Amino acid sequence: MRARDINKVELVKQKAIELLVELGFEGFTMNKLAKACGVSVATLYIYYKDKDDLIQNIGLEEVQRMSAIMLEDFDPESSFSEGLRQQWKNRAKCILENPLTAQMIEQLRSSTYQEKIFQTFGEIFKEPLGKFMHNAIEREEIVDMPLESYWSVAFGPLYSLLRFHNEGKSLSGKPFVLTDEVLWSAFDVVLKGLKK
Amino acid sequence: MDINIKEILLFKTNIRTEDDKRYIGKIMEEHEIKQWTVDLYDIDCVLRIVSPILTHEEVITLVMKNGYTCEVLT
Repeated sequence: MRARDINKVELVKQKAIELLVELGFEGFTMNKLAKACGVSVATLYIYYKDKDDLIQNIGLEEVQRMSAIMLEDFDPESSFSEGLRQQWKNRAKCILENPLTAQMIEQLRSSTYQEKIFQTFGEIFKEPLGKFMHNAIEREEIVDMPLESYWSVAFGPLYSLLRFHNEGKSLSGKPFVLTDEVLWSAFDVVLKGLKK
Repeated sequence: MDINIKEILLFKTNIRTEDDKRYIGKIMEEHEIKQWTVDLYDIDCVLRIVSPILTHEEVITLVMKNGYTCEVLT
């Protein structure tokens, strides 16, 4: 007997993310997921102990997958502008290529799963991003400021633009598509603001 | 996460509340069944047991003897 059918597990994961976003955590049920996947409810319970276990496992797997994308080709020792540029590139890629997962992670953030999710993100990012910021301050590339202020200025504008793009509209419902030009001109302004 | 499908026993029950779960927990403890969970969020209140020795029939008898419905989840 096969222990675990990888394709089936992937299908279950994909459909689960779709349904969690569509129905919310409350409306999501194992029955609905089984139907969407064309498998029996029993099959789902072979992989996961219960609904809670499923949401937590899929959530954490996705957080780890997204984190890996966000840190691709990122070198904490690089110059501030180069490192921040790579961060923007990775974060944009991550959200643009995985809109459903990004939405699910947002949902997790405002749920009872929040603590676990934040903890995992924290554990993964603390070292490389902390080092990066510390280096930039030490080299006097940027002004010394609390991490929260730094993060908000460095990434706040990026996430606003990505949200406008994913929703297809910006302020007052105006249609919006994020182009490279818009992205990188916003980046230049952020860089100018942070640099000493 | 390695799973041996043969060791996973799944049942549809009416173990619906935290109290029910606590009660069943005692029964499980008495019978030295350590790896068990009930999905209280699910309509079928799925009881999941991982055991290399128990059979479906044994679990059904045990749960029903204690006043709950229990049938194999298909």
